[in-house]
Amino acid sequence: MKLHKSFTLIIFTLFCLISFGQAKKPTLMVVPSDVWCNQNGYMLEFDNQGSTIKIPDYKRAFQENPEVLQVISQINGMMAERGFPLKNMESAIKTLESNAVEDNLRSSKDSGASINESPIDAIKKAAKADIIIQLTWTVNKTGPKKSINFNLQGLDAYTDKQVATASGTGAPSFSAETPVLLSEAVIAHMDNFTLSLQEHFDDMFENGREIIVRIQTWDDWDGDLETEFGGEDELGFVIEDWLADNTVKGRFSTTDMTETMALFEQVRIPLYNDKGRAIDARRFVRELSKYLKAAPFSIPNKLVMKGLGRATIILGSK
Amino acid sequence: MKLKHLILSVLFIGFCTSVNAQWKKNKANEDTKIWRYDLECEGIAKQGSKLVKVWSYSKNPKHAVSSGMKNAVHGIIFKGFAGGKQGCTQFRALVSDPAMEEKHKAFFDSFFADGGDYLRYVSSATDGSIAAGDRLKISKREYKIGIVVNVLTDQLRKLLESKGIVKGLNSGF
Repeated sequence: MKLHKSFTLIIFTLFCLISFGQAKKPTLMVVPSDVWCNQNGYMLEFDNQGSTIKIPDYKRAFQENPEVLQVISQINGMMAERGFPLKNMESAIKTLESNAVEDNLRSSKDSGASINESPIDAIKKAAKADIIIQLTWTVNKTGPKKSINFNLQGLDAYTDKQVATASGTGAPSFSAETPVLLSEAVIAHMDNFTLSLQEHFDDMFENGREIIVRIQTWDDWDGDLETEFGGEDELGFVIEDWLADNTVKGRFSTTDMTETMALFEQVRIPLYNDKGRAIDARRFVRELSKYLKAAPFSIPNKLVMKGLGRATIILGSK
Repeated sequence: MKLKHLILSVLFIGFCTSVNAQWKKNKANEDTKIWRYDLECEGIAKQGSKLVKVWSYSKNPKHAVSSGMKNAVHGIIFKGFAGGKQGCTQFRALVSDPAMEEKHKAFFDSFFADGGDYLRYVSSATDGSIAAGDRLKISKREYKIGIVVNVLTDQLRKLLESKGIVKGLNSGF
C-alpha cells in the first residue's frame, strides 16, 4: 500500500514537472494576404455610406484556387516536420460555420433555453491564431519566361510586429509550370523563415513574452487615472510602478495615458509564475486587477482578454 | 642470398607504399582539419536537402575530392552559404554559435572521422566526374576542386537537435 502511494506520488510529480515546465505554445496559421486576394479577385465589396470597402473572401479563395491550397499544405507539412503543426485556415472556417449552425439549433432539454451569446462573443467568432503567417506571391512574366516573387511574413496578432520573414524572387524558367515554381519557392524560403521564427522564440524565452496591456474606464465610474489614492501617486503612475515591478527587467512602454485610458506596449511578461505555471497576458494582468481591487484602491474592475498577448482592464465595475 | 635480397626488396616496397598511403591520408585530413573550403548553392534541391558545390583546396586534386563531402557537411553545420544563382536563397548555418564545435568536440571528432557518420547525410549529385571548370590550379602547387553534393539538411538538423547541439523550433513549449 505504501509502495503504491509512493508510486502515485512520483507519477504525479513527474506530470506536474512536465505540464508546468512548458511555456504556452502560440498557434500559427497561414493566411493569404490582402494583396494576393485582391490581385486574384477574391474580395468582397461593401458600400459603406458611399465609400467602397473591400475585405478578403478567404472561403472562396480556398474553394476556387488550387495553388493556394498547394502552398499552404506544403508550408503546413514543413512546419509539422519541425514539430510545430499549424492551424489550417480552411478547416478553421468550416469549424466556425458548423459550430454556428449547431449553436443556433441547440436548446435546453428542460427549459428550451438557447445558447447565450453576447454581441462581443459573436464578433470574436473568427478564425484566429497568435501568429499569422501572411502569404503573398506574384508570378512575373517576361515573354515566355516566368518567375515567382514570394513573401512570407510572420505577424504577431497582438503586438502587430513582424516576428519572422522570408522573401525573394526565384530563378526564371521558360518551361516550368507555376505550381512547380511555387513549390521551389516554398522549399527555398522555409528554412530562413523558421530560423527567424526561432530567433523570435529565443528572444521570448530570454526576455519574456511581449504583450499589450490596456486600461479603460466605464463611463459611470466616478474616478479616473488621475485620481490620487490615500496620499499616493496618481492611479496612472501607480499602474506604471506595478508594471515596472512585475515585468521582466522592468520592460514596458507607456504609449498613451489620458485620464480615461492608458495603453502599455512592449510589456515583457515572464513565461511562468511563482508556482512554475505557464502564464499568458490574462494571467499576468489578473494580478494587476487583484492589486487594484484591494485596499487602498478598492477599484472594482473587469478583465478582458484576447489570445495569449493582449489583456484589458476596465475600471469602475465588472 | 639472391632470394633474401628479393624478399627484402618486396618488403621494403610494400612498407614504402603503406607509408605513402598513410601519408596521403594524413595530408588529406590535414587539409580538411583546417576546414579550408568554400560553399556555394548549386540550385534548389528536393525538400529537406540542399544542393551545394563545395570547393576544396589541396596540393593533390584527389585529396580535394575525398575531403569535399566532409567539407560540405561541415559547411552546412557551421558556415551556411550566400544565395545567388538558380533561385538560391541565403542559408544560415544550422549551428549559429561557432563555440559549439569546441563544446561538443567529442561528438564532432567522431562524426567527422574517416568513414564517420557524416557520410549518412551527404551524397554525390553527379556521377563522380568533375567538370573542367571545377578543377582549378590556383598556384604552382595547389588545386581548387569543386564537387557538387546533396546534403540532407533536415535529417542533419534533427540529429543535432537530438544531441542538444541546436534547439528545435518547438523546444520550450
